[in-house]
Amino acid sequence: MIIGDKIKEWLLLTRWGDWSLICLYASLVSGIIVGIHYDPAEPFYSTSAIDILVPYGGYFRSLHFYSSQFFFLFAVLHYIVVFNAAEIYRAKSYTFLILTLPVALVLLFTGYVLRSDSTGFSAGMIAEHILEAIPLIGPTLNNLLFSISDHGLYRVYLHHVFSFDILFLLLAWDHLRRYKVKISNHLLFVGGVLLFSLFVAAPIDPEELGVFYISGPWFFLGLQEMLRYLPPFLAGVVFPVSFIIALVFLRKQHPWYKALLVGVLFSLGGYALLSWLAFTTHG
Amino acid sequence: MKDIKGTQPAGFGRRTILFIGSLLLLYPFIRFINHRVPRKPKIVEVNGTLKVNGYLAKDDFILFAGAESIWAVSRTCTHLGCRLNYKEKESLLECPCHQSRFSTKGQLLRGPAKRKLPLYPVEQKGIPPTYFVTIQ
Repeated sequence: MIIGDKIKEWLLLTRWGDWSLICLYASLVSGIIVGIHYDPAEPFYSTSAIDILVPYGGYFRSLHFYSSQFFFLFAVLHYIVVFNAAEIYRAKSYTFLILTLPVALVLLFTGYVLRSDSTGFSAGMIAEHILEAIPLIGPTLNNLLFSISDHGLYRVYLHHVFSFDILFLLLAWDHLRRYKVKISNHLLFVGGVLLFSLFVAAPIDPEELGVFYISGPWFFLGLQEMLRYLPPFLAGVVFPVSFIIALVFLRKQHPWYKALLVGVLFSLGGYALLSWLAFTTHG
Repeated sequence: MKDIKGTQPAGFGRRTILFIGSLLLLYPFIRFINHRVPRKPKIVEVNGTLKVNGYLAKDDFILFAGAESIWAVSRTCTHLGCRLNYKEKESLLECPCHQSRFSTKGQLLRGPAKRKLPLYPVEQKGIPPTYFVTIQ
């Protein structure tokens, strides 16, 4: 298992947190660039125009898309690798850091919705219905965050560009000010991200009348499959919130650590299986 | 925590006022974000040839022409709001998200959706006809 040991060593030694932060910077800058031509009143048209008509538009959109995906993926890897070391964090700091993960996921999700292609449109409508399914406060939350049916993509755009970014920064501020990243130490990685975006186009799924299966964003597939069998409130609210709460308490010092760990791993495995089903069985 | 003389420190009163003030501000905020400006009925003009037993698909509805009537059925799935597509061979509408099925008259054929699709009023004017579909 020499190869296995080598991979494990590489995983443990790679500075995933640095890479995640660099990707976040790239995402923020490329997002501003892409936003110059994006129009929330004509979301699919302006997104397609960025790809097809605007010089280097396809590249900047690709850079924005992939740097955002990598930001989240590397953040997750960073969390896994430093899990033991994070025991020194106080409960409040640790909770704030855990909460950056769902906020980052919501940023990714709203980015998908803003494309308003067939995937994005459906994802937005499903999110709206999930929010509305929350008892008492659901309609208010939907009016605050999405309200796509009544107001188009304006609120989603506002939150994608401002609110969730500010929320992320507030939650991660204490962590970010302690651990600074020198981009000059990661030039190869930066070059890799820039080159990757040059050769791999960001996806877009135009509306087609004869399409009878849409697979949502990759992190949404498991949820999409759950919604086939379970009510939206259960699949879209109870399970994800329970998972996040479990992560918040998943600390070695916690008396329920082992049970929580089993629960978290089981949930992840189940979600992976559902995602695989969504991707393969119904397509 | 009390000061030396055993009275409540000044900060406590200020914090209470701040908290109550924040709660009071929450009410107009919630009223503000919950307000729904009534939507103008959306009238969609459909220019196109609609043969008998044919159809015309738009973003919000599909216009069908039967032998004696023309009707518009919503394309918004009643499960979670995805846009339905028309399966011509089977003459039904299917949701690409979770494969709920509806008849061309909006009747629910298969879940997970639980409600039928609404039909929209259609007006036909002029020759060749232009169709006006009102979505409310």
